[in-house]
Amino acid sequence: MGKDKPIQYEPVDASPVKSFFVTMLTRDIKLEEAILDLLDNCVDGILRSKRRSSANKPYKGYRAEIEFKKGLFTISDNCGGIPWSLHDYAFRMGRASGRPADKPGTVGVYGIGMKRAIFKMGKDCLISTQNGEHRYDVEIKPEWIDDEKTWEIPVKGAKKSTEEDGTTIVIGDLYPGIEARFSEDAKDFESELRRMVATHYAFIIDKGFEVIINKKAVTPRPVRLVFATGDGKSKRIRPFIFKTRTDDGVDVFLAVGFTRPIPTEEEIATEQEETRYSSVDAGWTVLCNDRAVLYCDRSELTGWGEAGVPRYHTQFIAISGIVEFKCNDASKLPTTTTKRGIDAASPLYLQIKNKMREGMRIFVDYTNQWKGRVEEAKKHIEGEEAIPFDEVKTEAARLPFHSTTKTVPKGDQYKPELPLPKKLEARKRRISFVKDVEEVESVAVHLFDDKDADPSSVGERCFDLILRESRR
Amino acid sequence: MKHPPYHLRPNKAVDRLFLVEAIRRLDRLASLAEYTYYGLGGPYLEEFRLLYELCPEIKMVSIEEDEDTYRRQEFHLPCGTLRLEKSQFKSFLVRYESNDEQSIFWLDYTGLNYGNFEDFMALLGKVSENSMIKITLRAEPNDFLDKQNEKLGSGAERFRGQFGAVMPDSAADPPRSFFDFACLLQNMVQIAAQKVLPSTAPLVFQPISSFYYADGVGMFTLTGVVCRRDAAAATRKAFQDMDFSNLTWAKPKRIDLPILSTKERLHLQKLLPCRSGAGGILYAALGYLVDDDKPRTKAKLKQYADFHRYYPYFMKAVP
Repeated sequence: MGKDKPIQYEPVDASPVKSFFVTMLTRDIKLEEAILDLLDNCVDGILRSKRRSSANKPYKGYRAEIEFKKGLFTISDNCGGIPWSLHDYAFRMGRASGRPADKPGTVGVYGIGMKRAIFKMGKDCLISTQNGEHRYDVEIKPEWIDDEKTWEIPVKGAKKSTEEDGTTIVIGDLYPGIEARFSEDAKDFESELRRMVATHYAFIIDKGFEVIINKKAVTPRPVRLVFATGDGKSKRIRPFIFKTRTDDGVDVFLAVGFTRPIPTEEEIATEQEETRYSSVDAGWTVLCNDRAVLYCDRSELTGWGEAGVPRYHTQFIAISGIVEFKCNDASKLPTTTTKRGIDAASPLYLQIKNKMREGMRIFVDYTNQWKGRVEEAKKHIEGEEAIPFDEVKTEAARLPFHSTTKTVPKGDQYKPELPLPKKLEARKRRISFVKDVEEVESVAVHLFDDKDADPSSVGERCFDLILRESRR
Repeated sequence: MKHPPYHLRPNKAVDRLFLVEAIRRLDRLASLAEYTYYGLGGPYLEEFRLLYELCPEIKMVSIEEDEDTYRRQEFHLPCGTLRLEKSQFKSFLVRYESNDEQSIFWLDYTGLNYGNFEDFMALLGKVSENSMIKITLRAEPNDFLDKQNEKLGSGAERFRGQFGAVMPDSAADPPRSFFDFACLLQNMVQIAAQKVLPSTAPLVFQPISSFYYADGVGMFTLTGVVCRRDAAAATRKAFQDMDFSNLTWAKPKRIDLPILSTKERLHLQKLLPCRSGAGGILYAALGYLVDDDKPRTKAKLKQYADFHRYYPYFMKAVP
């Protein structure tokens, strides 16, 4: 056998496969999240447009309208449209290098949001946009999706102009699963979408943006924190606040505190037996350039159950925190590609998480200290106002901050001094016991003529009566 | 344990008869002998008595956690085919297995809490096809009106906190009218059903009827059948001829019967059924008000015309 001829290796084909974008990338994201990506594009459009409203309502006058029904999904906005100068980038799969720097505050980083949302829903799509003198339509047809070789999408100049600059995306030829969500499951889907917009877009809607789903505007659900008036030195309920600006230009503002009075033991016990609350404000909300990427998270991701902070439990139902990251360069924000999650390994986030835990410990400690004295603790909150995040930021200006320069992260913080009980006397003992509901109700009627009287008051009154009798 | 006189509540009695009417139509889907009825019958086991009279082939199980009520049930046992089980309903649900046999459940709650929706959802995931589930919930908007000194955690906040996961709009305040509140509860039941049986599941929860009524306390009730998605049309057809069926998640129907004496009812009987203008016709026949004013009297008598076939006679009997 002669010497073998060396095998000639041809270069391998590593070009992208269209079906990867159409059928694989779309699996990473829920339908509701894909629609939020489209809303993100609307807001990015506002930030690009020249017309801006007042400082505290920068999104006023802008809106996005979403409509879905069997066979059709539409989103239309008046948020400035897609500039023709961005056409080479807006419709590419992924963000190519060489794209001009985006306007401050936008969240688009990866260049996949709009396309992924479209491919998630259907095979037929018309994008009509108007930006100044440019008006054009981009149509994606099922044949284009099925054709692996063609990557160019035809663009047509639109004949009619609209009153305001903006974009309308109409998606048809919906995938069966999506069509069913828009028809058979419409009630649940709309409820879920509305809930996600109300929570993840709460801060943007509060700042004037309007989101309309099937003709009805979404009411925001911002988290509110109890913030006592005064100069910040008195022992009253105020949030722990930390703020900083990192060396690479990310502004961070963190506030954690109480949303409501701490729960009674009865409330905690009931919750253990069955779900009493299906939706609570407890936990951490993380904002990146105004969008909530996490909402009321109560897991280790936000510091619960690690480094001295207990795992979340109903007794901590009153504790809630908000941390805001803001940066002109969205790639520096600690968020995932879906923009609805935190990049838990981000060095910036890990540093800030230290402060999140530090703040939480103050309120966990308060909750533990006042356990069993909830009625007394309630008085600390009665009459105080719970205010939304933006107001917390404004009110924070009058608080005495002190700078920390030798710790990580560096920044300015306000540490509230919360009212604490005078030390328990050594000879005091806690008594707790469990009795049949009907028996408790029966004693409650006997003592208070009210079968719904607080069970701990019933127990305490019984003790007091017997104590008095024993001393006669 | 004190109980209200369940057996003397006319609106609930009508609702109970509608359930029996619906159950009778189940034999268009499967043999009634293959069904087991599970209920929270209360001390008098009223619906079990009725069911035994009208559908004796159905097996029956009553679930009761209270010792004394359970003993009263033993006293009122209407037939030998009813099995009394002393158990918490949640615990019963954990142990319940359909074993591919059809069930009929009446989740007859007197209150309203999120756990009720959890029970309903748990059951939807466990029953076999062609099973029926009826859920009754308290529908009192006043329960969620702001109380004094409730600056934090207002009534609306409490409602959102409890039910946000199944509300159509988790940021909205609960409505203040009885009708709107009943509509909201129906939407919440529908959302709960779609969460457990989404369009990707082979089974679907098909509504059959929904009512709201008040015998002192406002209540909402909805009955539906868990059927194969591809057999939903056939299921709807089986209940199409039922009075006041609701096969499309339409608004619930009010049951609001007037209190009439037996003599009055017998007097009106010959005029029934009325094709149109029933309220006016019956009012003319009586010649006096049976409610606060003329429009209300006519509305109530229209209700009577609608539901008279299901309105039981409460008679004094010599034991």
